[in-house]
Amino acid sequence: MQEKIKALVIDDEVDFCYFVQKNLMQSGMFDVLVSNNGKDGIKMAVNNKPDIILLDLFMPDMPGEDVADALKENFITAKIPILFVTALATNDDVTEGAENKIGNNYILPKPIRTKKLMETIMKILNKTSSDK
Amino acid sequence: MANRISRKKTIFLVRLMVIITTAYFIIFSSVNREVEIYGYIFIVFYLLTNLIVAYIPEKYFHDDKIFYGFVLFDSILLPAGIYFSGYVGSDLYLMFFFIISLTTMSARFEYLMLNTIFFSIIYCWLLYEKGVLTGPQSGSYLIQIPFIMVIALFYGYLITTRLRDKDIRINEVRQRYEQIVQATDVLMCIVDYDGKFLFANQKFVKFHGCRDEENLYSLTISQFYHEDENEAEKSLNYVRSVYQNNDMVQYESLDKSHDIWFANTLSPIRDESNRNVIAVCIISKDITDRIEKENKLNHTVELLIKTRDQLIQQDKMAALGRMASGIAHEIRNPLEIIYMGVDYLENNIPDNNAQVLEAIEKIFNAVHRADTIIKNILSFSRQSECKITQIPICQLLDKTLSLAQQTIQKGRVTVKCEYDDKSLEVAGDYNMLEQVLLNLVNNAVDAMKESSPKVLMVRVYRKLITEIGYKTGYRYTDFFKIGDDMIIVEVSDTGKGMPKDVQSKIFEPFFTTKPSNEGTGLGLSIVHMIMERLNGTIDVESRENQGTTFFIKLQPTIKVFDAKEA
Repeated sequence: MQEKIKALVIDDEVDFCYFVQKNLMQSGMFDVLVSNNGKDGIKMAVNNKPDIILLDLFMPDMPGEDVADALKENFITAKIPILFVTALATNDDVTEGAENKIGNNYILPKPIRTKKLMETIMKILNKTSSDK
Repeated sequence: MANRISRKKTIFLVRLMVIITTAYFIIFSSVNREVEIYGYIFIVFYLLTNLIVAYIPEKYFHDDKIFYGFVLFDSILLPAGIYFSGYVGSDLYLMFFFIISLTTMSARFEYLMLNTIFFSIIYCWLLYEKGVLTGPQSGSYLIQIPFIMVIALFYGYLITTRLRDKDIRINEVRQRYEQIVQATDVLMCIVDYDGKFLFANQKFVKFHGCRDEENLYSLTISQFYHEDENEAEKSLNYVRSVYQNNDMVQYESLDKSHDIWFANTLSPIRDESNRNVIAVCIISKDITDRIEKENKLNHTVELLIKTRDQLIQQDKMAALGRMASGIAHEIRNPLEIIYMGVDYLENNIPDNNAQVLEAIEKIFNAVHRADTIIKNILSFSRQSECKITQIPICQLLDKTLSLAQQTIQKGRVTVKCEYDDKSLEVAGDYNMLEQVLLNLVNNAVDAMKESSPKVLMVRVYRKLITEIGYKTGYRYTDFFKIGDDMIIVEVSDTGKGMPKDVQSKIFEPFFTTKPSNEGTGLGLSIVHMIMERLNGTIDVESRENQGTTFFIKLQPTIKVFDAKEA
């Protein structure tokens, strides 16, 4: 049996985290960890070393970009790909999906269906593994 | 000069004194009773001549020859009177001074001397006739002649020197005025009622390219505007209005042949006695510099106002953009939860219930629609860079049509293009214009779903702006100025058309006639907003069941946007 992909969701939307966790885990391919704020998210990322981190851009305690910077600075989490899933995107170009990046990170605009989210995650992971 | 006693009056008074004195001699000094009757006749005659003098108009006394005629007449008459009275002696000698006094008024030395000689001869002859010259006292009488001469010379000298001084002073004053008139920087001329030149300073003569002043005096003011009849008539009308109103007139005019602006002041020159206007003095000052500065200033103010308006507009758009993206964020998060939640439900339906699946599909569609509206609102308010360049409009149209090819083919629509000139260019933002055209093409195709024939017609042409319209006219806020060109893109369909009440609303946000799951009602309002940003306009003409035509009016060159870029 294929090893499950370990994903960490850092988002202040509790209900979003709830459904992402449910949907991804139901697919049988994912193990999903959830954090509702940036600081805890960073701790969890360091402790659990997920395969991918889904990150919100706008969070009350610290902005997603700062979280991403903190993760990149830590050598344990530096190599983990980050996918921003955000409602803030106002640029149409963002809809192109996984090819778009903020800095070195990928971006996906909300609203997004589970299927597309999973596809995007797989694409990113394939790309990063082939890069290696 | 005004309080100077007129010559006529002086002559009249002097003659009256002469008559009174003569009458006194004749009446009281006569030794011969027989002659007395002639004496009276003479006095009456003399008085009569003075009465005539009273009725001769003043101006004749200013002519030296006529004046001298009077004096000569008196010179003969007076000795004649004395002769008749039979009294010739020192009294006659006294009378002579009156005559000299009269003669001096002619102000001519030659006439005075001529008169003196003439009178001396008569006097000598009278003395001879009376036999005085042969008598024992002849010496004392003869000595009077040189005295008369000396007195006449003395008077003559006084007159001439006084006159010469006066002349010198007059000349000095005249020269000063002449210098002022010629040295001044303004064009100066004097014209009469018909605009005929009476005087012009050298600056004026030189400016109008006349050979000399004499040449000018055969012309009238209207002849200087031979190229422009309106201007000629206007200038003459101003002159006449000065005559009629007896008041100063000021106006500004453009000399088209020299391209110089003048500030003209027309002042009346009045008759001293009755204050009527006898001529008009025109002073024209070159104010081209001032006008140019004024124009520059006006232009700057115009630019400032325009820029300010644009800044306000930009500010508004920025605020709207911030609000829209805030709203978008707030709505997209719950939408995301709905998506994810419904995904969860879909995966957990017991027995794959078809009805529940259908319901879930409807929920997805609704969320998708909400998301589309948000996207449109975002693009409506988006402050994306508006990059104005010269765009070959026909090429852009071809590209737009190829982008919409799928839609066009699906709708079985025939496309016709009419380009006046393939190389026509417009000033605008490439992406924005593409969005506008794509929107119109899609709308046209949609409008022809149920009609036949289905023809989409696209026309591009250049047009000279001659009529005032929406954002078209002379005001600084107008995008299109009368006399300029604009590029018009027409997109017309043979679709179902729109009633009037719909036409008036199509550019309003969220207004749509399409089924709610097809249109958001933002397409044309975005088009309208983009056109405003491109300093252009969009109009619509539509007839029900015949079709609709959209007219996009665009700037042909980038220059209109200079203000924005500055």
